[in-house]
Amino acid sequence: MKRSISMLLVVVVSLALALTGCSGEKQGESTESQITIGIPQDIEDSLDPHKAVAAGTEEVYFNIYEGLVKPDSDGNLIPALASDYTVSPDQTTYTFTIRDGVKFHSGKELTVDDVVYSLKRCSNPDDPVLLQAGMTGIESIAAADDSTVVVTLKEPNADFLCEMTAAIIPQSNEDPDHVSDGTGPYKFVSHSPQESFVLEKYDEYWGEPAHIEKVTLKVCANADSLVMELNGGSIDMMARVTSTQADQLSDDFNVLEGTMNLVQALYLNNAAKPFDDVRVRQALCYAVDRQNILDLTSDGHGTIIGSSMYPAFGKYYMEELSDYYPHDVEKAKALLAEAGYEDGFTFTIKVPSNYTQHVEVAQVIADQLKAVGVDARIQLIEWETWLSDVYSGRNFEGTVVGLDASTLAASSMLLRFNSDNSKNFVNYNNPDYDAAYSRAVSTTDDARRTEAYQECERILTETAANVYVQDLAEFVALNKKYAGYEFYPLYIQNFASLYIVEE
Amino acid sequence: MKKKLKFNACVGGILTGGMLLFILTGIFFLPYDPDAMNAELRFAGMSLAHPLGCDNYGRDILTRMLVGSRTTLLVALGTIVVGGGVGTLVGALTGYFGGWLDEVMMRVIDALFAFPSILLALVVVSLLGAGKYNVILALGIAFIPSFARVVRSQYLKLKEMDYVKNARIIGCGHFRIIFVHILPNTLSVLVPTLMIGFNNAVLAEAGMSYLGIGVQPPDASLGRMLSEAQTYLFAHPLQAISPGFAIVLLVLGFSLLADAMEEKGCRC
Amino acid sequence: MKYVGRKILTMLFTLLLVSFLVFLCFTVIPGDPAIARLGTDATPEAIEMLREEMGLNRPFLVRYADWLLSFARGNFGDSYSYSMSVADLLLDKVPITLAMSLMSIAMIVVISIPLGLYTARHEGSVIDKLIYALNQVIMAVPPFFSGILITLLFGIFLKLFTPGGYVSYTTDVTGFLGYLFFPSIAIALPKIAMTVKLLRSELIEEKKQDYARTAYSRGNHTGGVLYKHVLKNAMLPIITFLGMAFTDMIAGSIVVEQVFSIPGIGRILLTSISRRDYPVVMAVVVCLAAVVIVVNGVIDIIYQWIDPRIRLEGEKS
Repeated sequence: MKRSISMLLVVVVSLALALTGCSGEKQGESTESQITIGIPQDIEDSLDPHKAVAAGTEEVYFNIYEGLVKPDSDGNLIPALASDYTVSPDQTTYTFTIRDGVKFHSGKELTVDDVVYSLKRCSNPDDPVLLQAGMTGIESIAAADDSTVVVTLKEPNADFLCEMTAAIIPQSNEDPDHVSDGTGPYKFVSHSPQESFVLEKYDEYWGEPAHIEKVTLKVCANADSLVMELNGGSIDMMARVTSTQADQLSDDFNVLEGTMNLVQALYLNNAAKPFDDVRVRQALCYAVDRQNILDLTSDGHGTIIGSSMYPAFGKYYMEELSDYYPHDVEKAKALLAEAGYEDGFTFTIKVPSNYTQHVEVAQVIADQLKAVGVDARIQLIEWETWLSDVYSGRNFEGTVVGLDASTLAASSMLLRFNSDNSKNFVNYNNPDYDAAYSRAVSTTDDARRTEAYQECERILTETAANVYVQDLAEFVALNKKYAGYEFYPLYIQNFASLYIVEE
Repeated sequence: MKKKLKFNACVGGILTGGMLLFILTGIFFLPYDPDAMNAELRFAGMSLAHPLGCDNYGRDILTRMLVGSRTTLLVALGTIVVGGGVGTLVGALTGYFGGWLDEVMMRVIDALFAFPSILLALVVVSLLGAGKYNVILALGIAFIPSFARVVRSQYLKLKEMDYVKNARIIGCGHFRIIFVHILPNTLSVLVPTLMIGFNNAVLAEAGMSYLGIGVQPPDASLGRMLSEAQTYLFAHPLQAISPGFAIVLLVLGFSLLADAMEEKGCRC
Repeated sequence: MKYVGRKILTMLFTLLLVSFLVFLCFTVIPGDPAIARLGTDATPEAIEMLREEMGLNRPFLVRYADWLLSFARGNFGDSYSYSMSVADLLLDKVPITLAMSLMSIAMIVVISIPLGLYTARHEGSVIDKLIYALNQVIMAVPPFFSGILITLLFGIFLKLFTPGGYVSYTTDVTGFLGYLFFPSIAIALPKIAMTVKLLRSELIEEKKQDYARTAYSRGNHTGGVLYKHVLKNAMLPIITFLGMAFTDMIAGSIVVEQVFSIPGIGRILLTSISRRDYPVVMAVVVCLAAVVIVVNGVIDIIYQWIDPRIRLEGEKS
């Protein structure tokens, strides 16, 4: 019996070793060009692009679905499914010429009806789930002829074109939740929950075709084993790795540096005591040493910012605000004393636990605030609890997160600070701000609009709406076998520009 | 046999004693502020000033170990006090009285046992927020069934013993019999179970920290330090080695002691 | 038979209790599935519409009864966060965790029985002591950390597998099993240590029993007695332990799946809890609980079948 058991042991072990030996060589077999890209969260939404809400989903769908226009890597809107467009001088009528010869992945030709159907679908106020926030001001959508669509607005809106990146899907698709049909350079192949999301090059793409045949997105939910997975060779590319992760990568990788394009801040509930006092908020701004945060969490990488706007916004971004509150413990203490908190106070910072970069920054801020007598307690919560409690419920004192923009219109960063906005989760309430904002959206003059938006930013800084920290540095780990990665100023990953380096 | 037993008890005693001494030192003396960050000392190696080096925030690892092992000890002890206390009470009552009380309580215990402990921990943490006291509560509840079962089976066996019958004849009350007469006789089984429970609690705390539902930053615990350190395992393995080693020593010491006690229990 | 019938009834009752408790848990913890799905774009109108659609606005007991009725009919419902039915989702993921658990069980049996026998036979030898020490150390390492060490050793230094290189069983069965071999080691290691220790002490205990002495006195050699007589009797507690270990393993695979990036049941459970995807969580937890309860129940029944004293006791109380 003993001998037979030992024999069995030998057989099992050798069999297992043989198996792993086989699996190690499997990659060499296929001749098809392919890349495996790690994603931090599963693509959990439906395949319906109008239902996609998670930023991680939208950045992938950028490759599958297209709108009438789409952003290029500089953030400019370029014609996509519309070959051309004109805007009436009063900025209320947008006329789009639909591109000829565009085919959906299913082989169906793109028609004006599909465009009208898609735009109506995501601007219908009776369907709040599909409704896109910026589409509420539409008066009418109509086809003028076989290749022209006219969109009329209730009132002028200079930023409206940004909304026209909304995906166009065929009217004939009866089950968009489960059947994907777009016009992008890649088409959807399969999705296995928590495992992989597979895309394949679309050969009849109207524009410049993609280079790599097959893109496999692999869910790497565990940030801690990421380095091992990259070094081990199971993923070829991963966006948004931290600087410490990047440091540990082997020579097989190029690390590209860009910015993450978001406003990371200690967001304060302006309606909660003691943050309803502007002096307390300003004191916190003085108490925080931003350069020290960067040094401690990302080896000094990142861009310090001072308001709700990041550099990729170009003319709207105001660099001078970034050092409005230099690190000054004495001044912070004086302001706290003035507000009646000589002995400091205690508050809780709620941080979504899945975002390492925010958790780290929150820890450093908590440590820095000790110097002015403020005891900040950190509470890690799940993202879903953050959404319902902090974001929807506004039940918090402070939270460290990064807010990104869906379009490069200044309004996408600044709209939420209007006192009556439903997304104003920090309860910022300032009539001056509301006035400046409404001045910005009502004017058709570009220079005056920019000026009004800048006024908004300055107000946010001066009243210390939040403790602004940085636009995080983004590191992309890309195996040296591949090249062509492009950074976008928005939350976008463009797989079509990637190609294989010939050796 | 006897020699090995002594050896176990010896090594176990030394390890446990050493760890306790280490933790005790931390209560009276800390070389640095455990949470103070310093950008210049990020990932500093071993030196006289920082014998175990510094972590990713430039915090002294030795200091954090002193504080962290205290937290770990607190969590593990708290867990066996909650889990062992309630479990013993439930096991004693159900085993002694039997009947419908036994039937109902054991179904609840079964249900609790079949409930994945990770879900239980998540529920407690979502409801009450994370933090060491809630970790104790979560683990304590999860540990109740195993203690209850062990104690119940002992009571089932012991209540039929002659000395219990005698006690009843001379008019002792039920509660006196349960706690004064029977309980001390279960100790030979209960104590090793508690010690193993202690070890499981140390390991479970580490697991919860790994899944992000354990002790909250910036607080230190051995499990939390170990799971934080694994992000830097390639470049800075030093950060993982100290807390990992401490966990192994702590658990090893207790399990050797538990072994020694169990064998002693068997002999007499 | 009466005992078995009663046992099955209590098992069903326990399962009902578990399902009720899980359902209750999810009504009291914060987080709303509708908001979880809509993210930061959620408007109050959209949340309300989705809640209505998901049936979340009905009273708690109505929802529970509704769930229970459809569950009893074998309908697990649809997942909130994946656009597929819970049954399809689980059918896809169960084989992964099951394969991993079975592999670990195989390792435990194949490795710990010979080791247990050896150490019991050569009690007090150098190898016995060595294995004892090794067992103690293995049991003292947190599971996630042993997983990381295995990845480092076999994946990075020995290059026997690609860390994170999980392949689906639908595309490549050998690759699938080959990858799962290593996480299975991580799951099996502490259980092997415990089984060896348990088996060794059981065997030594049984060896001292009268029947073993009789067998020796009749001239059987040590090995023969150990394998033919003693092992059989010592197996009962071991089988109990393995049964418990198996159920423990399925639930415990959550951590190992996380370390090795395996999209199994544990990972689905963890993400579904955080996404507040109740239909999935309910199905997973109730099925896991059912396995635990059934395994324990079967062990109890086997026990009383072998040792009728237990039955007597059970009926008396």
